Amino acid sequence: MNHRPAASALSPQSPSPRPGADSAQRAAQAGALQNHLLAALPAAEYERLLPDLEPVALALGEVLYEPGGRLQHAYFPTTAIISLHYVMENGASAEIAGVGNEGMLGVSLFMGGNTTPSRAVVQTAGDAYRLTARRLVEEFNGAGPLLRLLLRYSQALITQMAQTGACNRHHSVAQQLSRWLLLTLDRLPSNDLVMTQELIASMLGVRRESVTEAAGTLKQDGVISYRRGHISVLSRAGLHAHVCECYAVVKTEFDRLLRDAVHH
Amino acid sequence: MTTPANRILASVPAREYRRLSPHLFPVSLKFGQVLYEPGKSIRQVYFPLNSLVSLLTAVDRRRTLEVGMVGQEGMAGMPFILGMGVSGVRALVQGAGTALRMSATAFRVEFDRTPALQQALYRYTYALMAQISQTAACNRFHDAEARLARWLLMTADRVGSDEFPVTHEFLAHMLGLRRVGVTEAASALKRRNLIAYQRGKLQILDKRGLGRASCSCYQIVKTVFERSQRPRHQQPPA
Repeated sequence: MNHRPAASALSPQSPSPRPGADSAQRAAQAGALQNHLLAALPAAEYERLLPDLEPVALALGEVLYEPGGRLQHAYFPTTAIISLHYVMENGASAEIAGVGNEGMLGVSLFMGGNTTPSRAVVQTAGDAYRLTARRLVEEFNGAGPLLRLLLRYSQALITQMAQTGACNRHHSVAQQLSRWLLLTLDRLPSNDLVMTQELIASMLGVRRESVTEAAGTLKQDGVISYRRGHISVLSRAGLHAHVCECYAVVKTEFDRLLRDAVHH
Repeated sequence: MTTPANRILASVPAREYRRLSPHLFPVSLKFGQVLYEPGKSIRQVYFPLNSLVSLLTAVDRRRTLEVGMVGQEGMAGMPFILGMGVSGVRALVQGAGTALRMSATAFRVEFDRTPALQQALYRYTYALMAQISQTAACNRFHDAEARLARWLLMTADRVGSDEFPVTHEFLAHMLGLRRVGVTEAASALKRRNLIAYQRGKLQILDKRGLGRASCSCYQIVKTVFERSQRPRHQQPPA
């Protein structure tokens, strides 16, 4: 596992740091608001939750959950991206969904399943805020705005899973790679990704050679460039030209969740 | 009042069920009927009794893939449980039969004031999510024969019968295969006397054998659903 040195106060092992100093609190507050779900909460709700949101640094390749494992925390990524993988008995695996600043890891918690069917692995190193499983369930039972938001998010996540399944079955590796790059870019502040072709192959559940070939096509078209361990997207429009409809379907669903919800 | 065959409704205590039942209308669902289209509003939810609804994701306007199934263990109209009024998938009747239909408006009211229904449906959503994920994995990694066997077993469980109508073309849509791929897989199962097929009707002859021909995905999903039907706060009956 490729642990990145944790940024001082953001160590995953450190117990919930409840910032005493105002400045630290403001910093934490600004940080957590980079997560779209937390940012969509009414201010009072967010303030109430804030003391229990623990900042953690997630390292590339870190496994947060194994299939069937007990969920201890829910994670709200801000700059990190977590990938949900299904794992077969023979060890083969592929990504079924990604969770970045648009979402939360741990929806099973409030659905009454306290285990997860998939493996959660950090795909892009960065920061997240986590809440204990117990605290999340309390919030959920309180039937407040967080509950409604998380339910809507679950629907978007399920659509993403379904679409990924269909995309994996029917679309070319170049199309899948373009979809994956666009969804990743949407969650990142820059156009540069720390990423190897092996990692991409394991995301898409294909052989490395297929990724090399697909990435070669995109490179030839001037859409991406790559050197060891890094991919730079040179033209988003170029990616849009290569991508299948699956990207737009998933994106629309995420946009919708923050927009037009029915009110229970 | 008899207990409904639908497991979600059966899990609602009698008193609350009496409140729900005036809103539930039996309807007969026809093979091939489309209940929801992706991106379109949901006006009704359905609790299948002996019918079966396929959740399909379509790509490129023609190619589809079944991502989930809803039978007597569940409810079609999941986005409503999650507070969304719009479907993410196409819901297509795959097994004709009856279902109890409820208007979205009534569902919203009853769902809000019936904690037992909420709990059952949240747990169901969790299981359905596991099913969608497992189905994606299965379609990605397993061969046509194992997938077909899985699909037949899942269907039989949900319609409560070992015999049901099905065409090769339909199976191709469900499994994301070409027709010839379905024909090959079905012939292989037939040769081993696991299934028989005539005049559009498929019959499972040897369920145990079909279980062996299927990949582990069938059992994994079955276990998730069984577990989801046992609430955490309830002890299994002695």
